[in-house]
Amino acid sequence: MIIYLYDGSFEGLLTAIYESYYLKDKPEKIYSKENFQPNLLDDTIYIETDGTKADKVYESIGSKISKNALRNVYHIFLSEHQEAGTMIYNYLRLGWRMGNSVDLNLMDNRVMVVQEICNKVSRERHRMLGLIRFQQLKGDFYYAPIEPDYNIIGLVAPHFVERMGDQNWMIHDKKRNIAAVTFHKQWVLTNIDDKFTPSLGDEEINYQKLWREYFNNISIEERYNPKLQRKNMPSRYWNNLIEK
Amino acid sequence: MDIQQKLKILADSAKYDVSCSSSGSNRKNTQGGIGNATLSGICHSWSDDGRCISLLKILYTNECVYDCVYCVNRVTNDIPRASFTPQEVADLTINFYKRNYIEGLFLSSAINKNPDYTMEGLSEVVRILREEYRFNGYIHLKGIPGADEALISKAGKYVDRMSVNIELPSSEGLKLLAPQKKKESILKPMGLINQKIIQSKEEKKQFKGANLFVPAGQSTQLIVGATQDHDYKILTLTEGLYNRYKLKRVYYSAYVPVMNHPKLPQVINPPTVREHRLYQADWLLRFYGFSAGELLDETQPNFDNDFDPKTDWALRNIHLFPIEINRAEYEMLLRVPGIGVRSARRIIAARRVSTISYDGLKNIGVVMKRAQHFITCNGKYHGEVGMKVGLIRQSLLPKPKKTNVPSWQENQLSFLTDLVPYNHNLINSIVLGEL
Ligand code: SF4
Repeated sequence: MIIYLYDGSFEGLLTAIYESYYLKDKPEKIYSKENFQPNLLDDTIYIETDGTKADKVYESIGSKISKNALRNVYHIFLSEHQEAGTMIYNYLRLGWRMGNSVDLNLMDNRVMVVQEICNKVSRERHRMLGLIRFQQLKGDFYYAPIEPDYNIIGLVAPHFVERMGDQNWMIHDKKRNIAAVTFHKQWVLTNIDDKFTPSLGDEEINYQKLWREYFNNISIEERYNPKLQRKNMPSRYWNNLIEK
Repeated sequence: MDIQQKLKILADSAKYDVSCSSSGSNRKNTQGGIGNATLSGICHSWSDDGRCISLLKILYTNECVYDCVYCVNRVTNDIPRASFTPQEVADLTINFYKRNYIEGLFLSSAINKNPDYTMEGLSEVVRILREEYRFNGYIHLKGIPGADEALISKAGKYVDRMSVNIELPSSEGLKLLAPQKKKESILKPMGLINQKIIQSKEEKKQFKGANLFVPAGQSTQLIVGATQDHDYKILTLTEGLYNRYKLKRVYYSAYVPVMNHPKLPQVINPPTVREHRLYQADWLLRFYGFSAGELLDETQPNFDNDFDPKTDWALRNIHLFPIEINRAEYEMLLRVPGIGVRSARRIIAARRVSTISYDGLKNIGVVMKRAQHFITCNGKYHGEVGMKVGLIRQSLLPKPKKTNVPSWQENQLSFLTDLVPYNHNLINSIVLGEL
């Protein structure tokens, strides 16, 4: 089996897809080199990331398939799914054949799989819009730690730029050691030291106490239903919630 | 009294209001301002009863001069009392919002002194938020029955949603349990708000800059099970509210026995199955093209305990089935048990590029356990028991419940119907939006 490996970046993946159309050896699978376990029977070809080639593919997805396909591909990439590269490859090949109707083709497994994972990623993004908790630090700076399943930090940051106005903040993905930081109503993604420890502002503890007080009093005892609560708000997110 | 104490009392008093939705408005942030609203709404947490927390839902005051029998805050009930100042509510809202605890504020109130006095206080809170803090997040404000029209109109200019709770679905119920409230005092502000909404939409067409009045529309709440009113009566009322007053949402609240009173029914558990059925039927009215009269009538005035309203309807109208998945129109697809708005749309879309296979339906999200009895796929009927109402009924009957789980809890867990659960903003937004 022929396998393409890429460096783990989105550009790398798009380059691999570019090469699959031009190299003689067509891949059956595309993996990120980071989580790849080599096997004796496989032929692996390492694809060097190339910005220009990646741009061409990016451009072509948008114009020849659809903006939606572009969004799907990026979401699948952010899912960090083991098979993400291969899924995207299969989906795009079909897409370039069918054009913008590819997403209607729900009877095709290549499309179904993509939609399913995209839904999961969008769902987590939407969830995080609500579950992110900022803490006020010294110097009127707001800090929010998160540990999402998927790499959605770049999908949530624009929401908070729009919403929080002049407020300065940072969202810190502790699983991936990256952070989105605002800067004059712009934001940047940056790496962050895993030993970063914030020091809380003077009012912070008080508002956390108030929020917990509210949380505990808004529930109707006669309808106590922890299972439903967990279903809506899985416990893996509780770590970073003030109220839990 | 410190803020924490007030918050405890006034959140506790507000919890029986079901609505916490923050959807329907797309208010934008402004220069130097904070906040915006998202059309679909966002849930920020889920309380121990499993309900979504989207807004800071509190009472402005619980010092009530009225004596509604079903209500904890009634004047004759001996409970701790508290009142916020407008500044306190505004500060709490802003500070919670900055920490992303909430989407905004849902401010309700008991009637302190008189309706006008109370409405003025509420109005001041939203004025501070919008004008002094330049807050652009979501605000849902209660309209106080009996308050002066000018006061309600003034507050409406600042908020995203307004609601006047009907609570009791009939005049007899009101007379018995809320003697100081009259049907007219509730319906009048609703009519006023509706009229203002229509008027502001007209104005918006002429001057682009004009602000919309209550852009997320108005809603109301009905208590289920505190009076003798049957489901048909409640659902007809709902239908009228949607059609005549153009309400965005009607909420139902299973009556929670907060106290004993000779005029109140003895309830051990809140009637949540009934509440759940009403939400399902409500969805059928708003998004599935059903009318109240199709779902219930005088001879069958209450919903079935075992079957959701759509399945019940389909079983009574079995002569309309089976329908062919590859040809049926959207309106008919929606009437098939096991097919929701989302899957009906997906079927229509997928049909444009290929015929739909029986296995493919599962992928699309159709609940085959129910749908199989009512459809054919490429001419073939796959139902396991044939087109026999009795047998279908039997195969769809819910499994016997485990003991020691209260029935209403069980029901809350099995929200896996093709109808959308009412407190799940996320699914709402993706599938239908509230618009
Ligand atoms: S007016 Fe409202 S708060 Fe006062 S007793 Fe009646 S329902 Fe309760």
